[in-house]
Amino acid sequence: MPEPLPVKSKTPRAHSNKWVLVRKLTQTVSLILFILTLLFSRSSGLIPDLVKLPIRLSPLAMFSELLSSKTLLLGSTLSLIVFLSSLVVGRAWCGWLCPLGTILDIFAFSKKKSLKEPMQVLRNIKYGLLFITILSALFGNLTLLFFDPITIFIRSSTMAVLPVIDKMIYSLEKLLIKIPFMAEPVFTFDAWLRPLIFPVESSSYQYALLWGSFFIAIVLLNVVVERFWCRYLCPLGAMLGLPSKLSLVQRRVKSTCAECGVCKNDCPTGTIDSQNNYRSDPSECTMCMNCLEGCQKNSLSFSPKWQPAPFQSYDPNRRLFLSSLGVSVLAVALLSIDWIKKHPKSFFLRPPGVIDNEDFLSKCVRCGVCIKVCPTQALQADANLSGLEGFGTPILIPRIGFCAFSCNACGQHCPVEAIPPLLLAEKRVTKLGHAYIDQNRCLAWSDHLTCIVCEEMCPIPQKAISLESGSFSDLEGRELEVQLPIVDREKCIGCGICENKCPVTGEAAIRVYTL
Amino acid sequence: MKRISRRDFLRTAGIGLTSIVAQQFLSACGVRPSEDNPMPTAPNEVNFLQTATPFSPIQDQSTSTSVPTTETPYPYLVVSRGTQPEEMVRQGVKVLGGMERFMKPGADVIIKPNICVPYNSYEYAATTNPWVVGALVKICLEAGAKRVRVMDYPFGGSGEECYRTSGIEEQVTAAGGSMEVMHPIKYVDKQIIGALRLKKVAVYQDILNADLLINVPIAKDHGLARLTLGLKNLMGTIQKREKIHVSFESSLVDLATLVRPQLTIIDAIRTLMANGPTGGSLSDVKIQNTLIISPDIVAADSYATSLFGMTPHHIPYIIKAAERGLGKADLSGLKIQEINANA
Repeated sequence: MPEPLPVKSKTPRAHSNKWVLVRKLTQTVSLILFILTLLFSRSSGLIPDLVKLPIRLSPLAMFSELLSSKTLLLGSTLSLIVFLSSLVVGRAWCGWLCPLGTILDIFAFSKKKSLKEPMQVLRNIKYGLLFITILSALFGNLTLLFFDPITIFIRSSTMAVLPVIDKMIYSLEKLLIKIPFMAEPVFTFDAWLRPLIFPVESSSYQYALLWGSFFIAIVLLNVVVERFWCRYLCPLGAMLGLPSKLSLVQRRVKSTCAECGVCKNDCPTGTIDSQNNYRSDPSECTMCMNCLEGCQKNSLSFSPKWQPAPFQSYDPNRRLFLSSLGVSVLAVALLSIDWIKKHPKSFFLRPPGVIDNEDFLSKCVRCGVCIKVCPTQALQADANLSGLEGFGTPILIPRIGFCAFSCNACGQHCPVEAIPPLLLAEKRVTKLGHAYIDQNRCLAWSDHLTCIVCEEMCPIPQKAISLESGSFSDLEGRELEVQLPIVDREKCIGCGICENKCPVTGEAAIRVYTL
Repeated sequence: MKRISRRDFLRTAGIGLTSIVAQQFLSACGVRPSEDNPMPTAPNEVNFLQTATPFSPIQDQSTSTSVPTTETPYPYLVVSRGTQPEEMVRQGVKVLGGMERFMKPGADVIIKPNICVPYNSYEYAATTNPWVVGALVKICLEAGAKRVRVMDYPFGGSGEECYRTSGIEEQVTAAGGSMEVMHPIKYVDKQIIGALRLKKVAVYQDILNADLLINVPIAKDHGLARLTLGLKNLMGTIQKREKIHVSFESSLVDLATLVRPQLTIIDAIRTLMANGPTGGSLSDVKIQNTLIISPDIVAADSYATSLFGMTPHHIPYIIKAAERGLGKADLSGLKIQEINANA
């Protein structure tokens, strides 16, 4: 539970503050809502508009997407509320609502000061990241939305946290059913839980360690200093921090301040400056109100008054902006000369309905919602086939999961329509690749065995895979009649169920190739 | 609210990890509930049916399987024709001796239809007729069944989805039965002693443990088997069925020695004549308004071939099953009763 609070090293509370309580309550409710939304982001779960909601709250993702795709999505205007809130209550989003922020509060390791706090100047890393993200978006690149905190939350939960919990529960169940009287309750529990939030068979994700480690790394940075991510790295924090300078409500220090320094120790973002009358920077303050609790003299207030805050040494300047511009131009140019753009790899399949990869890359915000809603885990986050530019974008890997003939969830749930919202009837005739049979490895073609799994599985009403009779003679010269699968190029839509179910070990003998 | 301390965190993580390790360790040591004696659920009530039909699931894993007897006052096989599925089932089962012949009150019944894919409704004849399944649920409950569950392990989508699209869920629930999604946790590894190919297989344990297993396939075209009928429908009881396609016929017959439905009802009300087993085109569907009911799965399959203009000799697995003593493929001399079940 979000309790960024007391440890021994801290000063005893003078009085608990009702605002702190309200804030903690809000954080808890908000995190629970984010988690519930994610858990029920499934094809038979919440309505698509609710599934799209979390990422639509991020002004960073939505504004970048707008710049990059040059099309305004009505739903993305929701993020304007979050953005404009910073003109009233500063970075309250970070301290009160952000799921990643709340998780970092939960894992606020002891505030021992044995490790030296990083230099103040590191705070401008986040501004650099923000500028590069937005400027690259202007040039049609969204790669850095990988660092948007909401995408981190969705991606890490989808591909690491939830599958791990699923696996652990399953292992525990497997263990418990060995105890005779436990078996029935465990089966009942499993039959209740699994349809509710987990896939029937526990999910598999490629590079799960990578996505998980990234999340763990962000949490572990808390060891260095509390809310390390929010202070130094978070581009969304930077985006909300800039207008916060003008915020109506700010933390203000009255003249009665005894300069005791208690508030400085309570501040999770370390923005209270003992050199400057214990004032703080609204671009850094998450409005958590912890400082109110320790103040013996009631010298602190969060009061509305329009008074822009002064700039700090680490605030972004023209130099940072220009160098970010330089980095963006260079990076986008470098990514655009990748050979992969001219010559896609063999098994590079995008989600159904995506036609132009460039167009897709300029729309996809890397949130991972499609990966979450895909019932077969056909959709996986890429770290290879689409090059560095497409790091974290969804690709379809039939051997892990096929594109189910009865499902159009990815398009329906994509918050930015990077995957077109195809109707089921449209999706069923949308080609995403072509299946080819490797006759050297096919059990029928090569070993003359009876196996027609691919034909059997093919969901196309008139079967895109047909069987042809072939005669072979075996070593003793006996005639063998074998049914040989053949793919019809016209009918095949590349759903990949044939590749998924092919009984050949390792790579399938029938594979879906890039269109 | 208590803050999560490092200690708590480590403790929780430790418990989780230990359980995983312990699970792996126990599996490695071979301590499993699976092998020959699945411990959960009710013990098999052995042989209470034996006088009526010698068809209880094989307990001793021997291959000397019991062949359905011809020495009963009832017909060996019933062909029930009509246009109202429920009546066809009711009258057909009644002629065969009623459901009471196959179960006693309090029995735990499982019905295994064919619900293979979630994208075609019953009209396309890829999945068993929902009213046939619904009628069976009713009849079992009327005969005093403790509970009636209906399940299949589809390949083209999730169980829930398939249950819904097929229309079977609606009829089963209305009839007072329940649909069960076949979860991985309930599969047990079984050795098939005397198997030619399929020596070990993961089977859904409740299906093995049920007091009465009713097999309700739909008769349809199939690329490999040519026809998918009663025996082929048993493949829905195992995991990793793709592997069974290599040396398919022997493996299927091996499986049929382990999974032994006491009653098979082949739904040939609407039959899929081509592009099976998935279908999707109404022009491939032929209306035959027929049900084939028999305690002998092989005989039922054998009869069903005639609906497709074939003989059992066209379908190798039927002959192989008969050779292995699982039933009769040769129907001559058997008491076959045809009824017209129009109310």
